[in-house]
Amino acid sequence: MNGNGNKSVKIGVYVCHCGTNIAGKVDVKALAESAAGLPGVVVSREYKYMCSDPGQDLIVKDTKQFGLNRIVVASCSPHLHELTFRKTTANAGENPYLFHLVNIREHVSWVSDDPAAATEKAKALVKAAVARVFWHQELQPRRVPVNPSVLIVGGGIAGIHAALTLASAGKPVYLVERKPSIGGHMAQFDKTFPTLDCAACILTPKMTSVKQQPNIHLMTLAEVSEVSGFVGNFKVKVKRYPRYIDEAKCVGCGECIEMCVYKEGKYPNDFDLGLGKRKPIYMPFPQAVPPVPLIDPATCIEFKSHKCPKGCVEVCGDRDAIDFSQTVKEVELEVGTIIMATGFKTFEPRRLPQYGYGKFPNVYTSLEVERLVNASGPTLGQVVLRDGRRPEAIGILHCIGSRDENTNRYCSRVCCMYSLKLAHLLKEKTGAHVYNFYIDMRTPGKGFEEFYKRVLEDGVSFIRGKVAGVTTWAQSPAEEGKLILRVEDTLLGVVRRIPVDMVVLSVAMEAQADAENVRRLFNLGCSAEGWFLERHPKLAPVDTFTDGIFLAGCCQGPKDIPDTVAQAGAAAAQSMSLIDKGYVEMEPNTAWIEEELCSGCHVCVAMCPYTAIHFDADKKVAVLNEALCKGCGTCVAACPSGAAQQNLFRDEQLFAEVEGVLV
Amino acid sequence: MSRVSFVRKVKYEKELQRDVAAEVIATPGGEKILSCLQCGTCGGACPLSVYMDHTPRRLIGMLREGFKQEVVESFAIWLCASCYECTVLCPAGIKVTDVMYALKRIAIHEGIYPRRFPIPVLAKEFMEMLKGTGRNNEFWLVLRVLLKTAPMKLLTSWPLGLRLWRRGRMCLIGSRIPKPAGADLRRMLEVLEHGNASDVKPSNVTPSQGPDLLPGGAVSRVNA
Repeated sequence: MNGNGNKSVKIGVYVCHCGTNIAGKVDVKALAESAAGLPGVVVSREYKYMCSDPGQDLIVKDTKQFGLNRIVVASCSPHLHELTFRKTTANAGENPYLFHLVNIREHVSWVSDDPAAATEKAKALVKAAVARVFWHQELQPRRVPVNPSVLIVGGGIAGIHAALTLASAGKPVYLVERKPSIGGHMAQFDKTFPTLDCAACILTPKMTSVKQQPNIHLMTLAEVSEVSGFVGNFKVKVKRYPRYIDEAKCVGCGECIEMCVYKEGKYPNDFDLGLGKRKPIYMPFPQAVPPVPLIDPATCIEFKSHKCPKGCVEVCGDRDAIDFSQTVKEVELEVGTIIMATGFKTFEPRRLPQYGYGKFPNVYTSLEVERLVNASGPTLGQVVLRDGRRPEAIGILHCIGSRDENTNRYCSRVCCMYSLKLAHLLKEKTGAHVYNFYIDMRTPGKGFEEFYKRVLEDGVSFIRGKVAGVTTWAQSPAEEGKLILRVEDTLLGVVRRIPVDMVVLSVAMEAQADAENVRRLFNLGCSAEGWFLERHPKLAPVDTFTDGIFLAGCCQGPKDIPDTVAQAGAAAAQSMSLIDKGYVEMEPNTAWIEEELCSGCHVCVAMCPYTAIHFDADKKVAVLNEALCKGCGTCVAACPSGAAQQNLFRDEQLFAEVEGVLV
Repeated sequence: MSRVSFVRKVKYEKELQRDVAAEVIATPGGEKILSCLQCGTCGGACPLSVYMDHTPRRLIGMLREGFKQEVVESFAIWLCASCYECTVLCPAGIKVTDVMYALKRIAIHEGIYPRRFPIPVLAKEFMEMLKGTGRNNEFWLVLRVLLKTAPMKLLTSWPLGLRLWRRGRMCLIGSRIPKPAGADLRRMLEVLEHGNASDVKPSNVTPSQGPDLLPGGAVSRVNA
């Protein structure tokens, strides 16, 4: 008796060399020979690359010649080639689930130093697979429709680009952004390297298109609070925080801001990183989308004392867009796919006190300098220090929070280039002498090295050495009142003290502070640094380990704008390929309940995380709804009477596999 | 016009001795020198680097490449004041100060060090004194170091010594630690220099009475 009734079982075993990846450690000939002697095995072969066309043809030919009805391939991870060989099995005329893959590369040859022990382990694993495959059954994959709506989390350049791509293909998009306006970090930049395009000039047309595109449903001041469901059929709850101004009624005239009792801005503006001031009612920045002001309840007098003359409400008049009674609302969305584009945060340089950020007023972060050189920034593009002076010497310090065992080990990839850009802009705007302090100059992009050369020719000083610290302790009259940088010029082999007026810290990119929570919410993988994990670093860079969720932009790792846009396009295409196919094939790994064995104890009903099991009061047994079952196996493990069983993981299969390894 | 002299500047591979790096790598944390970025944070941070013939960064670079002669003969390793600023700031996590100590040990072992420079003399005299009495006596230590390095300095520095003595800061008579403990100390020093700890047992100190000295400074307590 086997999984397929009385038909006699004929197993074919195929051992892959994977070049020398497997054959370099495992004695593949001995492995194939040992497999040939196992019960039910009709043919056993080894081949250089089983995944190649000739390798797959071997299986097809043998199946026809020997009448094989079970296939075992010992090669790499099922992540890579399980699907390949299932298709091969189907091409050979057998049900694809009569196949089993043994991983003797990632689990054996790559993690072992001892060839003899590796071969023994591979033999045990193949023996287990042969024992297991005996019990395999013919199964049919399940088809589930894909909802065409897409949720995009994060409205930076990545989210915007993905949203526009999908919307122009006619897909409904929900774009959720936490801040009051979309645009992200790119909106804060002045120019973009290496072409020196104005960031706003290239970004704002896209932002406006988001607003105009009817397929995009934009939600600002919103956060995803709950995600359930699965690929093609996600259910998402979004919390919408109050803006206190009705987006539907407001036309963005800005008169309410004029009429506020505060005649001048008083509170630090987040968008200008606190360098500029805003009123309690404000626009984050002139080109904000949606072009609707917001009220900050923490600073608005009406919220604090209810004693404000409310000039804003008066001037709005009949339009009546201002609504102090708005509260947090939760909306529920149904989407088929999700694109994560949550971005990054900049490194907090107070963590490295030797650079004096927060202590010396003229030590800035690079993002702050972006706002300083920007024409719509707090100084209208004038580069002046906090005391109003124009800097005569400026030091740009690379790798602050990057390539450092004390903070982040990785290279943030963009700092060299944006430091070069800032060097160019600062020199152009102030005429100051600019020093760049770098460890290695990394300019590996299209037009990047040329830009480096251009800045070199500008006469900017490049000093190869990391600044050890910033001090105001002057050792000579020339250093009085300056910020003094102490550095070893490693190319010249001398230690230098360089007095400057302004220090720019080229801060690293870091994962968002709440990346860990977001990752849990969406059930994603995460690297130690907090970057969301792609399914494969080379071949599936926008997929995640959760089907139907894709990554775009810096939430996956530091990258520049071109790479972000490219990845956003790729994520949109991946999601579109699911939508346009219309359905997803699910692994037929659902559970079922044997009515005769069920004692009606209700354990599985309570345990099922997908509410796929209910209790039939008449028959007094549990009943499983296959459409809702995700194949997690919780009920199978919990059932005290063995009534709950699961396809692909049946008791006989698992016991046979364990026995194969051990006996 | 002075004569032009031609000096050969090529460094040939056969002149290099890569074992010196291995010696440093063998010290705890020493393997980190392999991840040095040559960024120069250490040289920038060091308060004495401006007086050094080679900055700490260059020393590590030369050490890694096997420039043994230059590294061991370097004056810089004796200038290190052990302020640990470089160790705190190093982005590669290199314990630069410990590397300096390792190099000093190698230099003393090889007998290559500036003879009349007080720091190696101080280190040696300090150890000698410890081996003899188990205690350090400032008066005799300073006297011996000065005699060996700059005896003429005694003529100018005796008033300072006198003032220190008057305030009870300098004792002319050395003291000695009690006998059994002295024997233990000698054994401990012996272990540090030559053998392994398992060969040596404390004489009359039972494990429950105090911490047990293990190699690497680990302390185990039996009476938990």
